Amino acid sequence: MAHGLNVYKADGSLGFSTADVTWQTLDQFTVAANASVSNTYNEASGFTIIAQRQLVNVPPNAQEDYVPNVTVNGTTVSVAPQSGLSSSQCIIHVLSQDT
Amino acid sequence: MAYGFEAKNDSGNIIINDTIENLHFFGKATRGSADSDYGDIPGYSGSNDTLDGRVVHTYTITCSGTPVAFIKPADYARWHAIIKQSVSGTTWTFQVMISGTSTSNPPEVYCFVNADDVPSSSETHGMQVFKSDGTTKTFDSRKQPLAITGGGTAVAPSDPTNTGGTPGTTTGHSWNYASNDHDFRSSSQYTAVSDSAANTSTAMFSCPSLAQAVYKRQMHGFKCSDHNWWKSGCQEHHSTAAWWVMYRSAFRLRSGNFDAGWTGYAAGYSFSSSYESGGWFGGGGGSYSTGSMPYTAKTINLQSNAFIIADSSRFD
Repeated sequence: MAHGLNVYKADGSLGFSTADVTWQTLDQFTVAANASVSNTYNEASGFTIIAQRQLVNVPPNAQEDYVPNVTVNGTTVSVAPQSGLSSSQCIIHVLSQDT
Repeated sequence: MAYGFEAKNDSGNIIINDTIENLHFFGKATRGSADSDYGDIPGYSGSNDTLDGRVVHTYTITCSGTPVAFIKPADYARWHAIIKQSVSGTTWTFQVMISGTSTSNPPEVYCFVNADDVPSSSETHGMQVFKSDGTTKTFDSRKQPLAITGGGTAVAPSDPTNTGGTPGTTTGHSWNYASNDHDFRSSSQYTAVSDSAANTSTAMFSCPSLAQAVYKRQMHGFKCSDHNWWKSGCQEHHSTAAWWVMYRSAFRLRSGNFDAGWTGYAAGYSFSSSYESGGWFGGGGGSYSTGSMPYTAKTINLQSNAFIIADSSRFD
């Protein structure tokens, strides 16, 4: 390589380098049923932010499990129940990528 | 930046710094039990009995922090989805649903955690990056950092069934009529998202299943016949046949495409028949039911969801 950073594994093979692309983790948290959360991540200013949602402890064949809505506005990530609906407990992974 | 550490990739974008944690490979979750079912509609035989089938594999992994899970299919032709993630202490349990009824070729689940949740390593060489507090790790080269190859957003089509449109309730059928006219399979119902990182050899993806749906077809039958004894009037005969399937959104990797679709998770059939009392010869009826419909027919959580694609071979 002419320039950049290579990170090698213990066996000497290349593990990660400046040729790679990644998503970094801004935050991980669990939102209780019917709860709302709003967090701001100033360290990710200028980055693309996404949030993955994973329902927790869903009994998939027994009830209606509504996932909460997630909105990303700048560096603020807001989680809230869908309008007029009760939301289920949900894991939120907030990821960022410099783009 | 006044001080600290940043590494930018060839596009000039930050991939390591001292403020945001990188994800690192923790390990593959351990596969446990498998439950296979719903290759057809339980308790029913006749037209449109066949379903796609589904297998639910259960996996566990013990780690601090919340793992981000990737599914590496063994059979890329099948649909995959994590439909449940729960934790007890530090042991995480995943339920992974795949289409079909064969329990062979189960997928693998690769788990990634924050740098600070990576267990200590006995390796003495490498590079670590810490936040300004001096204790929170953002990067540790001794555990393989996550490098991604693709991603975007995807949402399944609103209709999970191969027969287009919502199957409704109809009347006017003959008494005891019970022949399903709706194809509840989902093989042709998906949204394709073009992604050059998608392949059918080493690609794996992270995309939790959010959307659910219940579809139901119901038919009412009727017959009016003379009372047997006095041969006049109308002895009413009623019947109801109903078929339902519950779906969860599921995903598939094809060469150049990430598909968001559906797989049936549960299904059932019910039939009931009755007729008015008719003196010495009337009364009675009968009913039959398999399964219990989880909720009234509808589609919920049909929202765009972020998916990430990575190359599993880097972590083997």
